[in-house]
Amino acid sequence: MSTLVADGLHTYYGKSHILHGVSLEVAEGKITTLLGRNGAGKTTTLRSLVGLTPSREGKVTIFGRDTTRWPTFRVAALGVGYVPEGRKIFPNLTVDDNLKVPLQRPGPWTAARVYELFPRLAERKENRGRQLSGGEQEMLSIGRALLLNPKLLILDEPSQGLAPLIVREVFRVVARMRDEGISVLLVEQNVRMSLEISDQVYVLDDGKVVHSGSAAELAADEERVRAMAGASAEEWTLPE
Amino acid sequence: MDTQLILFNGFNGLIVGAFYVLMALGLSLILNLSGVINFAHGGFLAVGGYLAYTLTPYIGFWPSLLVAPTLTAILGVVIERTMVRRLYGRDPLYSLLLTFGLAFIFEDMTRAIWGAQGVPFAPPEYLSQPISLDLFFVTYYRLFMMAVVFIAVLALFMFLRYTRIGVRIRAGTLDLETVSALGVNVRALRTLNFAVGIFLAGLAGVLAGGNLSLEPTMGANVLMPSFVAIIVGGVGSLPGTLVGGLLIGVAAGLTSVWFPSASEAVIYVIMAVVLLVRPRGLMGEEGVMT
Repeated sequence: MSTLVADGLHTYYGKSHILHGVSLEVAEGKITTLLGRNGAGKTTTLRSLVGLTPSREGKVTIFGRDTTRWPTFRVAALGVGYVPEGRKIFPNLTVDDNLKVPLQRPGPWTAARVYELFPRLAERKENRGRQLSGGEQEMLSIGRALLLNPKLLILDEPSQGLAPLIVREVFRVVARMRDEGISVLLVEQNVRMSLEISDQVYVLDDGKVVHSGSAAELAADEERVRAMAGASAEEWTLPE
Repeated sequence: MDTQLILFNGFNGLIVGAFYVLMALGLSLILNLSGVINFAHGGFLAVGGYLAYTLTPYIGFWPSLLVAPTLTAILGVVIERTMVRRLYGRDPLYSLLLTFGLAFIFEDMTRAIWGAQGVPFAPPEYLSQPISLDLFFVTYYRLFMMAVVFIAVLALFMFLRYTRIGVRIRAGTLDLETVSALGVNVRALRTLNFAVGIFLAGLAGVLAGGNLSLEPTMGANVLMPSFVAIIVGGVGSLPGTLVGGLLIGVAAGLTSVWFPSASEAVIYVIMAVVLLVRPRGLMGEEGVMT
């Protein structure tokens, strides 16, 4: 059974038409990854799925329920953890307070367990969000989403702007979430590393799905991987 | 210049400043979380005062002190749910127009129900005594008022600092979208926050009624200085609002010792100076309102 099904999403920002009929599925207990260039519509897809930028056409089904028109907090309360692009931790709150914001759904994840997973955060409990490094902010953003005890975790470019060592750590944590039985939908620019941990892959371009298949299959197509990884590596060197 | 006059006016200023603080904190809460500039806030103050006036003969002064603000807050919830909520996320001009209209409606409703003439609202006799003949202006009631304001402000700060809902309100001030993505019912959060703000206005109304008297226009008179208190203290900072309110209250009080005619103007002078020297206000953080 699919954890999440998106069917023919058309999403707009004002008058600009961003998604042109995106359909995808997230299988239960698997990591599904959405790859694509900057501006391909990856973030918009995620925002449509959680109701932050509702699609104008199409249907979103999560855990078998039609959530297309639901407000974001109801989607989240269903058990959907969301780690937004740019981490979006609360800069004015301490680490400890950041972890008090999410709805407490029953489940194994508690603040204590988040601190166990990320000992670095435990050391910085009383620091404010704005004082954290990028890696620490990413950990906090993931930990915060875990406190919701999600059955589906959606991450938007968790490796963005992080040092290679930290990137590896983040991917390790994402893979571990799958082992804990959480379904994962991942958006990434880091093609090689995300293919390594993913089960299923979608490639998005100009608001359309241009490829879908197993991660292993795509990873084996070295030429294609090099083309995609090269494209994103180039973009990484561009000034922000 | 005798010290007693300075003390008298300084103390008056402190009392007035305490009202500004109660009003401005409520306004700030609502502005910070919902982006609504509540011009009807003064109307809620008047409603709170008049409700206490009506209730006191039946239930007494002390219960009224809590019941009247609570009823005012319930009225606030009804108005938020039926009207204000529809305008969240739109151009601030819409909610400004709505609350501006509501302010007129409140004023005329209080006039229609309780009359255009001010009505006396007396706190219990034993509170009206001065604590000494030298300090004749320091009545027990005024000390009591200061204590109530102090407790209310302390309770508000503890609520925001230590409770989960308070933490969510502080988080939502900067990024409500992410709070909602974490499963928090942000509609309910905004309604509750609105209710807390209106409760404070209602409480200010009851206290103000006991200090002076009740008039339909009493809300409008403290509304502008309360906005000034927020700007002086720094938009987005509640401690700033607290400091701003007391500062302009005392400044206006002291100015009336030497230049009585300038006592209303002085708060705008302070605002202008603060904005020139420190555009974000005394304790405001940069970029909060961008």
